[in-house]
Amino acid sequence: MNNTILLIEDKPGLSDPLKSLLELHQYTVAIATNGEEGIRTARILRPDLVISDIYMPVLNGFDLLDGFRNDPLLHDIPVVMLTARSEIDDVQLAMEKGAAGYVTKPFLFKNLHAVIQGIFEKQL
Amino acid sequence: MKPNQSIRVSHMLRGIEDPVLIISTDRQIVLNANRKAIDTLANGRSSQLRGLPLQAGYGMEQTELFPKPMPPAFLLPVSQNGSMALIDFRVSPLKIEGKKYWLAIGRKVEQEEELQMRLQHLEQEKSMQQMKVQLMSMTSHEFRTPLTAISSAMDLLETRMQLDGQLSQFHRLQFRKMADEIFQLNSMLDEVLTLSKIAGNNWEPTRKPVCVEQIIETLRYQYFSQRKDKRSLGISIEGEPRLILADKDQLAKVFTNLISNAFKYSTLKNPSVKLLYRKKKLVISFSDHGIGIPEKDLPHLFTSFYRGSNVDGIEGTGLGLSIVKTFVESNRGTISVSSGVNEGTTFTLVFEDFADAI
Repeated sequence: MNNTILLIEDKPGLSDPLKSLLELHQYTVAIATNGEEGIRTARILRPDLVISDIYMPVLNGFDLLDGFRNDPLLHDIPVVMLTARSEIDDVQLAMEKGAAGYVTKPFLFKNLHAVIQGIFEKQL
Repeated sequence: MKPNQSIRVSHMLRGIEDPVLIISTDRQIVLNANRKAIDTLANGRSSQLRGLPLQAGYGMEQTELFPKPMPPAFLLPVSQNGSMALIDFRVSPLKIEGKKYWLAIGRKVEQEEELQMRLQHLEQEKSMQQMKVQLMSMTSHEFRTPLTAISSAMDLLETRMQLDGQLSQFHRLQFRKMADEIFQLNSMLDEVLTLSKIAGNNWEPTRKPVCVEQIIETLRYQYFSQRKDKRSLGISIEGEPRLILADKDQLAKVFTNLISNAFKYSTLKNPSVKLLYRKKKLVISFSDHGIGIPEKDLPHLFTSFYRGSNVDGIEGTGLGLSIVKTFVESNRGTISVSSGVNEGTTFTLVFEDFADAI
């Protein structure tokens, strides 16, 4: 069965091609456009992995990580941050809050895919 | 200003006791001035004042003083009884027969006040610089969104063509070139942002106790793990780790640049970072087994825009190492390099300010 990925990104110009790319690599993909919608969708969908932007309206990526960590339904779902922020404080904060990966924009899909595959391989 | 207009304005200004200038809004030259301004700024010779561009003090260094549009206030230095004094001009818009001008009314600044005024103007300037840097920073982040959209769309197109059996070697090469340019543009944005901070004197390091090992581990997690070519960054530590006093963001930029270069200019073996904690210093070495740097290039390596003579086909701006040196030295460190062509390169950084020794 295909792994399910929840993509949380507020810009369709970024989420549309990424969704198609993930689908071409045999993942089932759902999209949410902010952190709050992301948590709501994740509770229903129980995805195998989440890819999330950091700076989004309503609930940002750091608060989303807190939400996942403190929710018994979601705390074991790996979250990869996909963001334009490359400052070291942001990366360290994401690590502290339990992010499973941190990829900075712009990115090559093969690099993001290598991170995703690495996470799934660790789970085997 | 027409001659009859000029006469009327001169009459109007005559009654004002403070120095007054009428300035053109486009060329920023003095069109008219009252007697007080002529006496104070041009030793009574009106011809010296009219038509002159506003410059940093008459008889002083002739440099342009003002950006456009006109600032709300400016200071002009004048010579008075053999010493320098300042005239503080406040600027407001003025309309004469439908045409726009700047009206600048001056006031002599008393000595005690003078320091405060200078301070105030410096603070205004500093806050303008900070605003510029914030704007640059915001812009640079905003640029990443379309860059990401372009690179994702290209990735999608390439993958689709590959799956449909339409991707030739020619297509692959063109996709690779476009991707290289996108990432090159992204690096340039980072470097221009950093340079704008340096140029705006907005880069004084905030030195706090930092754990170098933690910064390098974070960078490995962020940039240098799960690489497609399966290479990884080797990290080794010798001695008892201690915190050093440094600016974390600046060190992160230095390390990112040196580690990226180590991957970029080598292809087979893993680059490595070695931390050597000695009694009085921390020595950090970044080594690769790549193409190396020709001896003739070594003296120019840290000069802005200089690129090695053997880096054909490898993208770069030639700014990275100049920023690296600036940041290492601003954190009271030193940097040196040893290299052999096709043997590899080692950059060595030395920091002596341990946090527990200060």
